[in-house]
Amino acid sequence: MRSLKLVFMLLMVMVVITQSGCWSSNEIEDLAIYAGMALDEGEISTTEREFEEKGGAYSKQNKITATVQIVPLKAGSKGEVMGKTSPYTNITGAGDSILEIFRQFSLRMNKPIIGHHLKIIVISSQLLQHRSIKQITDFMLRDNDIRPSVKIFLSSEKAMQTLTTKTPDEVPSFYINDIVQNQFRTSKIMDPVLMTDLDALMHSKQSFILQNIIRAKKQIEFSGAGIIKGDSGKWIGTLTQEDVECINWLTNAGSSGVIKTKNEQDETMSYEIKEMKTRVRVNRGGDDRLVFQVRIEGKGRISEDWSVEDNPASDAYQTKAEKLFREKLTSMMEHLLSAMQSRYKVDVAMFGEAVRIQKPHIWKEVKANWDDTFSKSRINLNIDLQITEFGSTTK
Amino acid sequence: MSVSRSFVEPNDKITSSQAAIVLNNTMLGAGILTLPRSVSESVKTPDSWISVLVGGIIVMLVVVIMLKLSLRFPGKTVFQYTQTIIGRYPGMVWCLMLILYYVVIAGFEIRAMAEVTLFYLLEGTPIWAITIPFIWLGAYLVLGGINSIARVFQIVFPISLFILIVSYLLSLRLFQIDNLRPVLGDGIYPVIQGLKSTVLVYSGCEVVMTLVAQLEHPKQALKAMLTGISIPVGLYFITIIMVIGGLSVDSAVTSTWPTIDLVRSFEITGFLFERFEFPLLVIWLMQMFCNYCSFFYNSSLGLSQVFNLSYKGVIFALVPVIFIVTMIPKNINEVFELGDSIGYSSILLFLLFPVTLSLIALMRFKGGIQYEKP
Repeated sequence: MRSLKLVFMLLMVMVVITQSGCWSSNEIEDLAIYAGMALDEGEISTTEREFEEKGGAYSKQNKITATVQIVPLKAGSKGEVMGKTSPYTNITGAGDSILEIFRQFSLRMNKPIIGHHLKIIVISSQLLQHRSIKQITDFMLRDNDIRPSVKIFLSSEKAMQTLTTKTPDEVPSFYINDIVQNQFRTSKIMDPVLMTDLDALMHSKQSFILQNIIRAKKQIEFSGAGIIKGDSGKWIGTLTQEDVECINWLTNAGSSGVIKTKNEQDETMSYEIKEMKTRVRVNRGGDDRLVFQVRIEGKGRISEDWSVEDNPASDAYQTKAEKLFREKLTSMMEHLLSAMQSRYKVDVAMFGEAVRIQKPHIWKEVKANWDDTFSKSRINLNIDLQITEFGSTTK
Repeated sequence: MSVSRSFVEPNDKITSSQAAIVLNNTMLGAGILTLPRSVSESVKTPDSWISVLVGGIIVMLVVVIMLKLSLRFPGKTVFQYTQTIIGRYPGMVWCLMLILYYVVIAGFEIRAMAEVTLFYLLEGTPIWAITIPFIWLGAYLVLGGINSIARVFQIVFPISLFILIVSYLLSLRLFQIDNLRPVLGDGIYPVIQGLKSTVLVYSGCEVVMTLVAQLEHPKQALKAMLTGISIPVGLYFITIIMVIGGLSVDSAVTSTWPTIDLVRSFEITGFLFERFEFPLLVIWLMQMFCNYCSFFYNSSLGLSQVFNLSYKGVIFALVPVIFIVTMIPKNINEVFELGDSIGYSSILLFLLFPVTLSLIALMRFKGGIQYEKP
């Protein structure tokens, strides 16, 4: 009996030893982790052309070009790696399906690429002019490695170039990912649109905006936003940096930033926003158009004033300054509203949300062609900016 | 072996708090991962949380009916008293339906668990390599009887609750109250539409009819069972609020596993884990295992009691049956279809039968005079 027990124990130990561990594990050193992805119009790169000349072709029409940015995992200390090699590798391929392009990379690389750590996707607006964003992002939404927390950006130039910036010892994907954190300094940076948000926006067929990235002399800048029309899913135009700032203030997504204006002597004055709160009320007007009452309340300080003779501590100065800033903000807002209502005829500042929440029965009627209804509706601005302090100098 | 007939052993009883946890762990399983999608699909407005609450109240009422019925027959499970109420053969037929239902639901839980594991955690592992160890492990636990099961549940539940709540708290960064507004914007009708799919997630409450017989103090049954059912109602409610608030209705309906997608939608750098879907999934596997064990236990107990077979033998005989049920759905759509049909049969079997059984029992035994005295 005892020996039987011993045999049984030994058997158990053997089972534990042989059966533990992961069935389909991959060592992390053997994987190529990509942190960024760029999608462009289908165009064969020079490398690929050379491959094709030498017979490396398969059946495809080159509808899309995908670039992934691979972050190397090198053995050895960080200092060793630094300076010697570039901290990333980009690989580009053209084809008809993103998955196929990725599998095609396996013919060119010694490690399989894996998307667990993808942080950003940059899509070129040229590509979105004739392909809907739903088609392009379908693979990323279905894939189980790519997380829904990926941030989506647009680029009005070639998207793959935004991933080749020359930032010393920095991976451009992480660099772009980190810029988003500067939101507390300027409202010209949008709340990042995550894959989850994109999924919801595409399902509800609303128009929306995506942060635009431009590039000059190997440097990048977050500049404005590209508009994606809801029903077609295509790119229709770009909003300026100040438009984006106004959208952020209108939607309460951002409450930072600077309003700069000039006084009668043409000297610069800057107002630094500390608090910004917007309330939107919607009603049906007499002529059956929707009327939005937008109330914007801001508090902030004068952080810069180039004029020589003004006395900031006086009440007259304060009233005058508040009026100047209010006029400036009004004109910025009017620029945005005319862009939305007249030029592009889309609502990308969540006026639809106000209708959906405040007047659900009206929303039911208008939601099918909301962009049209919105561009015909009337928007009344009511802006109140308060100056609460003048900084550490009174003169 | 003393365990072979543990259901007749008088000392294999559980305390009220154990019973509450067993009931809770029987309901809280794979449902929480898909609930926001299934409810939002039928409600279509952000009001799904009202449906979940109303559904919970309806299920509570049903549980009370089941409980009152079971209390008429102290120490007897549904498999024993059904034959007393409606006669030997009709009773047997009904008990067989009940057992089949439990076997299918046990297989379904294992399959759902395997699908989630294969998709997010162990891509490339064969499905049998995931399901078979779980089925065997469950058989081992069920062999120990209700007491061992209850004790395992007592260990697992606090852990899974903790991880779930932590994941939800961390997901607050995505929460936007506007996603849950307007309340009742389209009136009450969508909420009623959603009731159908919310009742589905409460399937499993039927085990009340066996649990009551195993209570140490049947007098505390009502309190125990209502506690047991309030926990899932509360957790489902929080789940809906967090997922719809975090992802919006539009995203919840397009996502296969919305609750996991909510947790996948944020990253926390510098915290214990950067990504919370892995701890959540790993812990939730234990919860699904509990779920499966509970149904496995109920089906084996039922078979052994109805046909007077050895409890141990029945368990081993059911292992291949459960494996076959697990492997029946060919793809993920069929898994979800199976889940839906389980829910519908749940309504049929258990929202209607306890009521009719209670009525028959009332008429035949005139308030249950013979049985009410303990």
